[in-house]
Amino acid sequence: MVAVLPPVIPPAIIQTLPTPAPSSNLLSTDLTQNRIEVSSSFQGAKVVVYGAVVESRDQPSDIVVVVSGPRASMRLIRKVQVAGLWLNSRPVVFEGAPGFYMAASSQPLDKITGFSNRRRLGLGVDYIAMDTPRDTKIVTRYGVRDVVVNSLEDDYLEWRQAVTRLKQKSSLYSDNPFGVRFVDRNLFRAEIDLPSDAPIGTYKAEVWLFRDGEPVSYSAKLLRVEKVGFERFIYDTAHRRPWLYGIVSALICIGLGLGASRIFRRG
Amino acid sequence: MQAFAILAALEPEPVNVDIYLPIAEMSVNVLTMIGLGVLVGFVSGLFGVGGGFLMAPVLVSLGIPPSVAVASQAGHVLATSTSSVMSYSQSDSVDYRMGAVMAAGGVVGAVIGVEIFRILRLLGQIDLVVSLAYLLVLGSIGGMMLKESLTAMLLRRKGEAPPRPKVKRPVWIYGLPFKMRFPRSGLYISFIPPAAIGLLVGILSAMMGVGGGFLIVPAMIYILRMKASVVVGTSLFQIVITTFVTMILQAVRNHSVDMILALILLAGGVIGGQAGIRMANRFRADELRAIMAVIILMAGLQMGLSLFVPPQNPFVLVPTGQP
Repeated sequence: MVAVLPPVIPPAIIQTLPTPAPSSNLLSTDLTQNRIEVSSSFQGAKVVVYGAVVESRDQPSDIVVVVSGPRASMRLIRKVQVAGLWLNSRPVVFEGAPGFYMAASSQPLDKITGFSNRRRLGLGVDYIAMDTPRDTKIVTRYGVRDVVVNSLEDDYLEWRQAVTRLKQKSSLYSDNPFGVRFVDRNLFRAEIDLPSDAPIGTYKAEVWLFRDGEPVSYSAKLLRVEKVGFERFIYDTAHRRPWLYGIVSALICIGLGLGASRIFRRG
Repeated sequence: MQAFAILAALEPEPVNVDIYLPIAEMSVNVLTMIGLGVLVGFVSGLFGVGGGFLMAPVLVSLGIPPSVAVASQAGHVLATSTSSVMSYSQSDSVDYRMGAVMAAGGVVGAVIGVEIFRILRLLGQIDLVVSLAYLLVLGSIGGMMLKESLTAMLLRRKGEAPPRPKVKRPVWIYGLPFKMRFPRSGLYISFIPPAAIGLLVGILSAMMGVGGGFLIVPAMIYILRMKASVVVGTSLFQIVITTFVTMILQAVRNHSVDMILALILLAGGVIGGQAGIRMANRFRADELRAIMAVIILMAGLQMGLSLFVPPQNPFVLVPTGQP
């Protein structure tokens, strides 16, 4: 089992793996929306991934839908007790972790396919591709030179699980084992619930068709979550003209304070 | 943090009036935020402090990223303090000259403090330093104020006149050069002590993410021995200038000022602030100081004790710094 420990696998391979090349495309999918507008009344959104299996006939098929949000690095610290005080460890940086992740399937993923496919395709919260490149080192192991291992060694899995657990708690990561429903013989749908704090950016909705534990067809659609209107104006100004934004903001606050004192003095 | 969480939970069942915050990138309940603004504004007007040391922990417990909470509440502090300074200046209880000298030190201190904050945050040790700073600074100031004000209250009960402060100003203050007159404060001293206090408070307040009123007020009372009537107004004036600079710096360096959040908070804040100022006239100075001492002590212990309590979840996600 040593060989399958995630730290031993170089992250670059995970990132650049080609999606499975199906012999013929048996999947046809789309989203109910491919653009979500985040305005001041945004309280989360629901998007439906739907699709059809072409030429399903009588073959048993499993569908896996994975929606993942924009990738960003995350820093995780661990509280450790030193002389009775709970202090922070050095932060560990996880790179490439998606800001949102949902895996829905027509039945539990471990019944659909095996470990290696799940790991390769990133199916399921525990198989999301992310790594801690700043903490890797190259060593010689079992007589093999230049093996990339994680300097966290055996703790790596624990750290990684902590990331997914925290994200699951805030409903940003989820596994939905029966989230894909066949509404008709060959027609399926899966609902995506985006919480209000889902990150802004481009999402990818990927759909796999599995037969006998192997991916036979693949389809992907993009979903853009973007701020619009006043929200967008504020965000853009804050990032593109920070001096102007800061000075105007501070002056508005002072002005409102002055105005309030006028009103109260007269009242 | 638990007490703040309870405080937040005690809010009446929120009506569904949510608004999305563009910088925090999440939605919040408007009424909860206005309520928080009123509450902190009231404390701010009553005691002449910015109130940041109360507001930041509540905002964070409501799920707002700490960097956004600290930067945006600056807008609330700015508006509430401006409105309060105007009220105090009507009764001639602001020493603008003293405030400006302290603010000059404060601005330099804030710049240094923000840098220390960045370095510590990169090392992941900011929590420890912030908790220790709260425990030591707030604990000692709160304890000192509580003892002093309780003694004064006890003496008043017995009908005795409060004793004249035995130790006047530390003698070395008189030996310093560059003396200035501060007529409103009734002082003729070197500008070095006020500026140094401003600098120190600026560093600490930038690191603790607060305005620093709870540090300035005791320093004015116990070290500079300013005329009591101008202490609160002058401290608020000092806070306005320092916070103005801090807010702009936060916007430029961290892009973490959420104007929508700031506007919601300050809407409640100015109302609470005015109510607080009116209420302040009904209390005796020593009673006010005793209440403030208890609040400061509690805030200090709350943060400090978090170092000793085993965390529920040993792992914590921290902001990456760059969005």
